[in-house]
Amino acid sequence: MSASGSRVAVIAAGMTRWGRRAATFRDLIAEAGKATFDNNPNIKPADINSFIISTVYPERSAFQGHPAPLAAEWCGVRPNEFHCRVENQCGSGTTAIRTAYAAIKAGLTDMVMIVGAEKVLIPSHQEVFLNAMAGCDREWESCFGVTPPPLFAMVAQAHMKSYGTTEEQMALVSVKNHNHSRHNVFAHHQEGATLDQVMNSKLIASPLKLFDCSTNTDGAAGVIVAKEGLARDLCTQPVYILGTAQINEGYPWANYHKDWSSWPALRKAGEKAYAMAGIGPDDVDLAEVHDCFSISEIVECEELGFCPKGEGGRFTEDKLSDYGGRVVVNPSGGLIACGHPFGATGIRQAYEAFVQLRDEAGERQVPGARVALTHNLSGLGEHHILIYGRDS
Amino acid sequence: MKGLEDAFDYVVGPNVYSLDPVPLQTQDQNRIYPFYDHLRENRLTTTQCADCGHIAWPPRIVCPECMSDRLDWVDFPEAGRIYAFTVQTAANPPGFNPPMVYALIDFDNGVRIICPIVDCDPSELEVGAEVVLKVVPAPRDRVLFFFQLKTKTRKNYEAGNPSS
Repeated sequence: MSASGSRVAVIAAGMTRWGRRAATFRDLIAEAGKATFDNNPNIKPADINSFIISTVYPERSAFQGHPAPLAAEWCGVRPNEFHCRVENQCGSGTTAIRTAYAAIKAGLTDMVMIVGAEKVLIPSHQEVFLNAMAGCDREWESCFGVTPPPLFAMVAQAHMKSYGTTEEQMALVSVKNHNHSRHNVFAHHQEGATLDQVMNSKLIASPLKLFDCSTNTDGAAGVIVAKEGLARDLCTQPVYILGTAQINEGYPWANYHKDWSSWPALRKAGEKAYAMAGIGPDDVDLAEVHDCFSISEIVECEELGFCPKGEGGRFTEDKLSDYGGRVVVNPSGGLIACGHPFGATGIRQAYEAFVQLRDEAGERQVPGARVALTHNLSGLGEHHILIYGRDS
Repeated sequence: MKGLEDAFDYVVGPNVYSLDPVPLQTQDQNRIYPFYDHLRENRLTTTQCADCGHIAWPPRIVCPECMSDRLDWVDFPEAGRIYAFTVQTAANPPGFNPPMVYALIDFDNGVRIICPIVDCDPSELEVGAEVVLKVVPAPRDRVLFFFQLKTKTRKNYEAGNPSS
């Protein structure tokens, strides 16, 4: 796989305020559409011929199937070249951008608008947790009450046993990401967090505590991607897709690799994406990785090659994943502090890459950022990666 | 946890099945219905390919290795061992009241199962402990399976656990 032919670039990005929103699924879509068009006045809804909605379970939380035409209409778009809904659980957003990339590379269209949206917080808390089962395997996981927290808690147990990773090291991921989001006006949480706060937060699934977990959140985000020539006509600072990779090794969760402290599928996906981009992990200035739980970010730093295997906890503790370190991991605040409206998360990560690589990230700007990596996972063995770069 | 007869009261209503996470288990709905029939006999089983010998988990109707549809039902070893476990004390879905213990359980036939461990004091669990099948009733005449510690400790008996 190589990035031959004309490149594909992000030329607009916008997002809604994320959090407990007094808004419906379609309200969120309309807000994200407006934010995206407002970001680039050279592009109007009538210019958009292709549209993708990334959303995981509107059937559950909003009783709404068939969301692509609805979402397009609520963004003022009437697609006549390409449109669809993309669903790949928590990796939907990155998968949607890859789908747009593929459609452009295939010559079906020159420009695609992608909106990610999820309504998660409905009035019944119990139903929010019930809905969380819908993304697991109904017959072999969900019927036992299995949802992501116990799954990632067992990753943490395995990592602690294999590498001596501590609860404090995991908590420090949360402290870092909550502190990053103090400068993100769209994040669910903007108050920061101390180590004591994280360590003393309510136990969810041993050893994971409330602050080790990403937050159930309502939110939406949008990007527009285009073929290189068009991108230059419409945007003064396009952000290019340099590489991408995707992998799935098994299902359900019990059938992933046996050692849960290592994620070999992510290592392979990272190597493929780096090869396509012609770079290595040392070239990455910032990474928006899938910190659905604090332990996830620790394992991801290892498998993406930011630190040696088993040293993700120490890497965090030594502040090498923070400003002034080796790579700034989750400058936005990540899933832990921005919140995690599933289908919107990968699009929000693209938004972060876009603003960072254009020096528009304000107080959370990573100085001199030239290369950004974004990563979603939908399971220990299912990973989705994009690598973005500014024009050199 | 005794069973899940009342657990899904608000998602199991007349003519409503799509919000109910327990699979439909009868011959008119599901081609692996023998799995559930075996559970009712306290047997944990899965499918083994008659052509290539591959033991699948979960049970299949087509072998994922060779695409044969000649599959036999085979019994699991009596006990499995805990690879990792967690105690979920919050954010539990309705019907699965905290604390819930979830574990990855490894069997000598090469299969790993993720499942709750019930009827235990979480403080007595450890990696490597042996667990055995426990079948529990579920709404609409269905069954589910969990696991329990093979060797009950003094603490279990003192807790007056009726299944000990």
